[in-house]
Amino acid sequence: MIGVEWTKQWKRPRTLVTLGVLVGFTVVLTIALAATGPSHTERVGDIPLLIVPARSGFSVPVIALASTMKFFLPLAVAVLAGECVAGEASSGALRYALARSVSRSRYLLAKLVVALALAGTAVVIVSLSSVAVGALAFGWHPLTAIDGSASSVVHVVATRFGPGAALARLGVGTAYVAAGMTSVFAFAFLLSTLTTRPFVAVAGGVGLTIVSRVLNADYLPGVAVLNPYMPNNDVDLWQHFFQNPVQTDGMVHFLVLQIVYVAVFLSAAWWSFLRRDILT
Amino acid sequence: MIAIELTRQVRRARGWVTLAVMAGLALVVASVIALTRPTVPERLGDWGSVVTNTTGFTAPLIVVNALLLFFFPLAVAIFAGEPVAAEAEWGSLRYLLARPVARWRVLASKTAVAAIFSVAAIVVAVVASMALGLAAYGYRPLTVLDLQHTTPFHVAAATFSAPAALAGLGLTVAFVAATLASTFAFSLFLSTITIRPFSAVAGGVGLSLFSRALDNVPGLHALSGWLPVTDAGTTAWTGFFTVPAQVGAVGHALVVQGVYAAVLLGAAFLWFTRADVLA
Repeated sequence: MIGVEWTKQWKRPRTLVTLGVLVGFTVVLTIALAATGPSHTERVGDIPLLIVPARSGFSVPVIALASTMKFFLPLAVAVLAGECVAGEASSGALRYALARSVSRSRYLLAKLVVALALAGTAVVIVSLSSVAVGALAFGWHPLTAIDGSASSVVHVVATRFGPGAALARLGVGTAYVAAGMTSVFAFAFLLSTLTTRPFVAVAGGVGLTIVSRVLNADYLPGVAVLNPYMPNNDVDLWQHFFQNPVQTDGMVHFLVLQIVYVAVFLSAAWWSFLRRDILT
Repeated sequence: MIAIELTRQVRRARGWVTLAVMAGLALVVASVIALTRPTVPERLGDWGSVVTNTTGFTAPLIVVNALLLFFFPLAVAIFAGEPVAAEAEWGSLRYLLARPVARWRVLASKTAVAAIFSVAAIVVAVVASMALGLAAYGYRPLTVLDLQHTTPFHVAAATFSAPAALAGLGLTVAFVAATLASTFAFSLFLSTITIRPFSAVAGGVGLSLFSRALDNVPGLHALSGWLPVTDAGTTAWTGFFTVPAQVGAVGHALVVQGVYAAVLLGAAFLWFTRADVLA
């Protein structure tokens, strides 16, 4: 089942276009960074980390992850998760797929595993392609990150990461971002089993991250109480891996929160899909 | 034509619900500030800063600042994305066009009414929060700290008399409405090409999100000035509340909005006057 589904999804233009756009984004980003000049400093995230892109290829994955994690990656993940069942329903193929002598649960599991693998690929491919493009453009040099929160005009707190250390921290950071996408994934997957229109499932998945971000004390005063329970607000904490010492506050909380959201959304998806009257 | 369309839309619950939600959100934000943070300065946009609750004018400013990120674009996308696509969805669009009225006039009247409702969404939020603010703190002068020019040795602050603050607020509403023109025009364009209101609304909100996401990509700063929805563009109204007023960014933002609105509205009219309407 999983093998069949895997081959099928890779043959769909949607998968290739989604992944291709993410790779294209990292290439465009690198060109833009190269065009801004050799001594230009970029501020990354809320800490902020100050990085000079032209000095190390590893600056590109850091900037690429930071600039895709809030919208482009959730969008890609929602496309890959939201389309998998609703896409079949909208093309009228779902009822024939379910007419095979395979239980609905197994069918949904195959869909889930493949969509999850593709969504994971989407996150990883951003890091991988930006490491590759970054190394080509700016070289395989150690990455120096200045900790903007601890630095002042008279005292600069900078940490230097050798290529190995930079890669390792990037790996952990990518895994953290991927974990942070799972709530979006699960919600889009749930919607995908409920609707026959893929667009609704995709928009709903993106909508979850947006609602999570908008219900934020920075924009709407008074919603600070809700912040610790929002599914997608703390996805940027991976940037602390590039501080020294690493501040892991809030990361475990965020990961547990993801598990809770995923458990709720996926059980709802199973519950509804096993019972729903499939008409298309 | 406009009057007919206006009557139709006024009778639908959707418009009233959207406006009520905007007013409700504004009241919630204003009350939360009044109850929990009576004297904490709230940051507005990139540099301005208002000391809360010394005058009734702070509440509407904070509300505008809070809602323009997502809720204003959402309301505008609902009003602009629905009218044509909803007719198509009900299957009444072809009967509407069967009347001896030019298609561009049908679209023009729908555009005008959608624009009236969109502006109303902003006005309702501002008026509701200002009413609450004035009732609680009175019609008093507004003091704005200018964080951009404040140093440890010098606090840059400007005080506006109540009528001046009211005028500034009026300009702010007009400018914020203008920054939503690209979102409006894009939703309207989508509304003419799809038969699903949801797609048109989501597309309009999507444009503003997509544009902001691109705006925040490090390295793509060169692009920022020309995107339809940017942080700098949508918060340029804080320049009305400095002395002297900083209106350079305002002019640029209006030009960018004008270009996007003209192109997208042009595309909507071009498409709608030629489309083969089947629904």
